[in-house]
Amino acid sequence: MSNDEKKAAAPTPPPAAPSKPQPKNPGFVTFTVDGKEVVAKPGTNMMEAVKQVGVEVPYYCYHPRLSVAANCRMCMVEVSNSPKLVPACQTPISEGLAVKTTTEKVAAQQKAVMEFLLLEHPVDCSICDQAGECKLQDYYMRYDFQPSRLTGEKVMKNKRKELGPEVVLDQERCVMCTRCVRFMKEVANEPQLGVFGRGKHEVIDTFPGQKLDSNYSVNTVDVCPVGALTYKDFRFRARSWFLSAAPSVCTGCSRGCNTWADFFGQDTYRYRPRENEAVNQSWMCNEGRLTYKALNEARVEKNTTGRGPEALVVTAQEAATAVAEKLKGASGVAVLASAALSNESLLAGLAFAKDALKAKAVYVGGRPSGKGDAFLMREDKNPNRKGLEAIARAYGLELKPFEELEKALDGNKVKALFAVGTEVPTDEAAFAKKAAKLELFVAVAQNASAVTAEATHLLGAVSHVEDEGTFTQGDGITQRFRRAYPARGDAQPVWKWISGLRAALGLEGSYGSSREAWKAHAASVPEFKEFNWDKMAPIAQRKPGTGINPLPTGSDGRPAGFREFNARPENAAAVVKGESR
Amino acid sequence: MSDSPRNPADPFDPNPAEHELEAHLQTRPMEINMGPSHPATHGTVRLKIVLDGETILKADPEIGFLHRGFQKSCENSTWTQVLPYTDRLNYVSALCNNFGYLAAVEKLIGLEIPERAQWIRVLGAELHRIHDHLTCVGAVSLELGGFAAFLYGLEARELVADRVTELTGARLTTSYGRIGGLNRDLPEGWTERLVKTLDKVRELCDEVDTILTRNRLFADRMRGTGIISAQEAMDYGFTGPCLRACGVDYDVRKANPYWTYDQVEFEVPVFQNGDNYDRYLMRIEELKQSDRIIRQVLKKMPAGPVLVDDWRIALPPKPDVYGSIEGVIAHFKLVMEGVQVPAGEVYHATESPNGELGWYIRSDGGGRPYKLHVRAPGFPILSGVPRMIEGKLLSDLIPTFDTVNMIGGEVEQ
Repeated sequence: MSNDEKKAAAPTPPPAAPSKPQPKNPGFVTFTVDGKEVVAKPGTNMMEAVKQVGVEVPYYCYHPRLSVAANCRMCMVEVSNSPKLVPACQTPISEGLAVKTTTEKVAAQQKAVMEFLLLEHPVDCSICDQAGECKLQDYYMRYDFQPSRLTGEKVMKNKRKELGPEVVLDQERCVMCTRCVRFMKEVANEPQLGVFGRGKHEVIDTFPGQKLDSNYSVNTVDVCPVGALTYKDFRFRARSWFLSAAPSVCTGCSRGCNTWADFFGQDTYRYRPRENEAVNQSWMCNEGRLTYKALNEARVEKNTTGRGPEALVVTAQEAATAVAEKLKGASGVAVLASAALSNESLLAGLAFAKDALKAKAVYVGGRPSGKGDAFLMREDKNPNRKGLEAIARAYGLELKPFEELEKALDGNKVKALFAVGTEVPTDEAAFAKKAAKLELFVAVAQNASAVTAEATHLLGAVSHVEDEGTFTQGDGITQRFRRAYPARGDAQPVWKWISGLRAALGLEGSYGSSREAWKAHAASVPEFKEFNWDKMAPIAQRKPGTGINPLPTGSDGRPAGFREFNARPENAAAVVKGESR
Repeated sequence: MSDSPRNPADPFDPNPAEHELEAHLQTRPMEINMGPSHPATHGTVRLKIVLDGETILKADPEIGFLHRGFQKSCENSTWTQVLPYTDRLNYVSALCNNFGYLAAVEKLIGLEIPERAQWIRVLGAELHRIHDHLTCVGAVSLELGGFAAFLYGLEARELVADRVTELTGARLTTSYGRIGGLNRDLPEGWTERLVKTLDKVRELCDEVDTILTRNRLFADRMRGTGIISAQEAMDYGFTGPCLRACGVDYDVRKANPYWTYDQVEFEVPVFQNGDNYDRYLMRIEELKQSDRIIRQVLKKMPAGPVLVDDWRIALPPKPDVYGSIEGVIAHFKLVMEGVQVPAGEVYHATESPNGELGWYIRSDGGGRPYKLHVRAPGFPILSGVPRMIEGKLLSDLIPTFDTVNMIGGEVEQ
């Protein structure tokens, strides 16, 4: 257009307001990311929407269950309606938007952000708990991979700031994403953390005179994308890349939070919450986390016959035979069943009580109740009370409170007791005294206690991470858990003990696995009708998310750390003792 | 002699009847085992041989005694950790295996390594070609009864091994080179020593040549034995000296030049008869060509880095690892997780002393090979041995098995 023409042209009317583009998919927003079309509900976070088509945008501060802070600047992307880069976590999606995540501009931004984050980061990988599952490491290799350009000194901050009884903060490692601050404020509803200082002296800390003593404080360690927040219990205890993870369920209370049981050899090192929208979202409580210790400590790993000084270590076969002999002629054997056992254990155990012991009623054992709260923690500290009730109901067994068993013992009405699980809801020592009077006390127990010390026949049971199975939590949701490692010592799953006892007593029915125990009995329980045992199994993925995963199995098919299996000295001693006998 | 009556059922009877002493030799074919532990079978391989007198009716090489799960081991280790496993393929020319593997991985990544590293790889590969051929020629001579040539050959080989030790730190299991180049440059003063070594090796090779090539005792057992035709050799999948001895001019270094082989002058010797003698001559000639290549490399090799400067591929320098978070992250991730090789598959072949050493590699985008297969040159050649030897004399088997130069480590993996 020449200048003359421009002058001659009539003054143009002001441009009409751009009409809103017609949605391509009514009711949804349609936009493109890297040329791929995405259809999402209006209001979907861009970060989540692009995941649908397999586009990954890096981020530190974003968390799907927390409010958006957009302070890490790692998720900056190019969009068609802005000349500048915008954070993907904060930008609303709109019809016809073209998002680009792999342009040079975006790559330069990612590189720059990584360089800034690492500028003040201490050289700590070799002593850091987070190494191997750290986002700084992952993103450095993917987006930065440049040498340091820092010439001066790094800023020194507090390297071990004790925030509370469970959490230690290394302020130098922190990238100020404020996920922990937002978690405490928005999810735990206990705003105990805050941001203090400005610029490169900015730190996370508790408010003056306060402590991070919430029962949910360790979740801040989980949401921390770097190694700044560390869990006192796990600190310096294992290198994360040597740990394998098995999808499991917390047994701390009747909430049944989904967990990853991180293990090496035949030891569990920690629980981490596993996402389940219906039960625990992405969180779990501090109390539940510590229950993993019962999987490692004070376990009944040897089977004994005889009480006190007469106790004799025997093989599983010998123990089963000895118990069967005692049970053969016995009548009026009382049955104690623990609400802390899995459905498979109880299905097999109670069926045995009914078939072999002719039991009409079962005394309900289990851990004593404790504190609960409005968020996750329940007062009932047993993971499977609902399951026990359902099974007993289906079998036509009357459930009697534990106090009645104590009364019966006091009145010498019970001379023989068959206990599937030895957790007791009252004082252990007091009950042990009463149990000492029993003529026959067969105890299938996971952990040693004052009660198991009085058993005439002590049969070691595996923990839930050593077997497949299910728990029915307080709301009636049945959940599957997976096996992490083989049984410790001479311990056996309850169904295996029962199977052996049935055979020794000449009864029909035996099980080769917990699955078979379920298949044999679950059909009779109406609560389990809908539950598909095989399909509900979580995928046995070793480690979720990014970072270094150990090999699924070693080159010979054995899991990581197999060399340590049953190699602990106390087991070696058990073997020697068994032989010398 | 005792007067006791003879018991005809007792074969150990001290007084056999007269006619039994005249029993004819058995004419049933005899089955014998050669190996798996036999001085004339290099490596542990078992040859099941059916003999009619001294004629071989059937020969069946049986492998598996050195099988060590090479492929599976590789799948369970990072790309860099595979390197020591490759040393154990053809352990007489470990450098050729190292560099061949690395070249295949670099091809999958799409990585160009520094020029000096390419020259040093040519140098190392040729050095170990000399090492391999000297061993082969020496062993042929030894097993035909000529100990002198063996000693000359081995003396030369040990000189080469000394230079390799100085270069890599190990005599056989070199593990030299890294993805993206080399883990270290040539040591100081090494090239001068290498030239001296080459002069001495050439002298010793001439000595061996003089002793063997025109020696009736040697030539008579080599000429016309273990023959295979060019067509059959190709059908079996022969490569390297064994194929070129049949008149087929195929050498990966010429057919598909890699590194800087296109910048050096050398000839590919070709012979026509496809017998043991020609396979022996192939190696004598190739020794001279390798010597020629190395001397050119020493002249043409430029100065410069020997490893790519990319922390996603190569370990950062140690001061960076100890002194900067960037360095320690890169080091940690490369060691624990491995180089992230893009998903895809590749076949890459290099000319190893015994022929085409091919690597078929698949990556799923992670730090460990998803699948790794080696086309060992010795495997098809070993499968052709029965064809070369059946119907021939047992004594021909020894030179034939020598000149095909089967190496248990690479054939069985």
